[in-house]
Amino acid sequence: MEGKIVVVTSGKGGVGKTTATASIGAALALEGKKVAVVDMDIGLRNLDVVMGLENRIVFTIVDVVHGKCRLRQAAIKDRRIDNLYLIPASQSDNKDAVSPDQMRELAKELKQEFDFVLMDCPAGIERGFENAVAAADYAVVVCIPEVSSVRDADRVIGLLYSKGITPWLVVNRIVPEMVERGDMLSHSDVVEVLSVELLGLIPMDDQVVVSTNTGQPLVMQKGSKAGDAFRRVALRLNGHADLPVEVPRAQKGFWEKIGFTRR
Amino acid sequence: MFNQWFKKLAGKPDSKDVAKKRLQFALIYDKLEVSENILQDLQHDLIEVISRYFDFDQKALKLEIERHNDFSALVFNAPILSAKRARPAPPRAARPGA
Repeated sequence: MEGKIVVVTSGKGGVGKTTATASIGAALALEGKKVAVVDMDIGLRNLDVVMGLENRIVFTIVDVVHGKCRLRQAAIKDRRIDNLYLIPASQSDNKDAVSPDQMRELAKELKQEFDFVLMDCPAGIERGFENAVAAADYAVVVCIPEVSSVRDADRVIGLLYSKGITPWLVVNRIVPEMVERGDMLSHSDVVEVLSVELLGLIPMDDQVVVSTNTGQPLVMQKGSKAGDAFRRVALRLNGHADLPVEVPRAQKGFWEKIGFTRR
Repeated sequence: MFNQWFKKLAGKPDSKDVAKKRLQFALIYDKLEVSENILQDLQHDLIEVISRYFDFDQKALKLEIERHNDFSALVFNAPILSAKRARPAPPRAARPGA
């Protein structure tokens, strides 16, 4: 069976695309799927450091596209998780180094080789976005509950629809205490504004920074709330579409439960 | 929780409701934004169609998008000089019934 190509995008930068790509990719591989995560941010690569594979880069996606190496030579195998591969971006080229047509061509080969291919899209809606989206069958739009991010997500969702892709939404960095206080857009506010299908809700989690610091996969950190939420996203992508979306809840101590707030 | 009650009593809206309203308005306005090129193309096409039926002052015409609080309108002003009596056949195939 042919693999599925999923682009992870957001419009705005810094909302957690790369973390989402690495985490969903790792979770899918832990589910037993053969997964490639592809860094499409040519010139500003970061998926390699987030995954802790920065020391093993030999060839990049630009080399594959230009026929300087074969796909298998550029795909770095993750030694901690079976079936997980990274195809890194090059740091010395820019987004024009590959074209949407070349990506569509590469996609045919990727689909033969892998069950899931996750494209980590760069911020913006220019060439880098076009390249990342060109070959995608599915799209995951990551946004955080902030006005600027939701607005950009809306723009990107419009662009995806115009390319015939129906996107799913992941709302990242939810702080349940702030939502309860009425100081953060709730996931239902975001979904109402964007009117798009929800794939997952990820709570704010300090473990994300720790995991990025060390280059360890977030989904392997025990007790990571964000890691668990990403695993559920992966399950939903991997045929368990009926798995309910879990809403992050505030953890309350005794005093909060009876109506006192800290601060 | 008590802090929230005080906030509610003071009549201050939740900041997330402010965010949601601002977002919804921003998205509406973003979608109404039309590029200069599109307007110019539209004007060009309108002139072509209207001049089949009317002589009008092509220099005085104005095509604008007027924004109001809850709607936007496309306003096209073309001062008519005279109507054309015998009008040329439309370029497309004859319409049914015509």
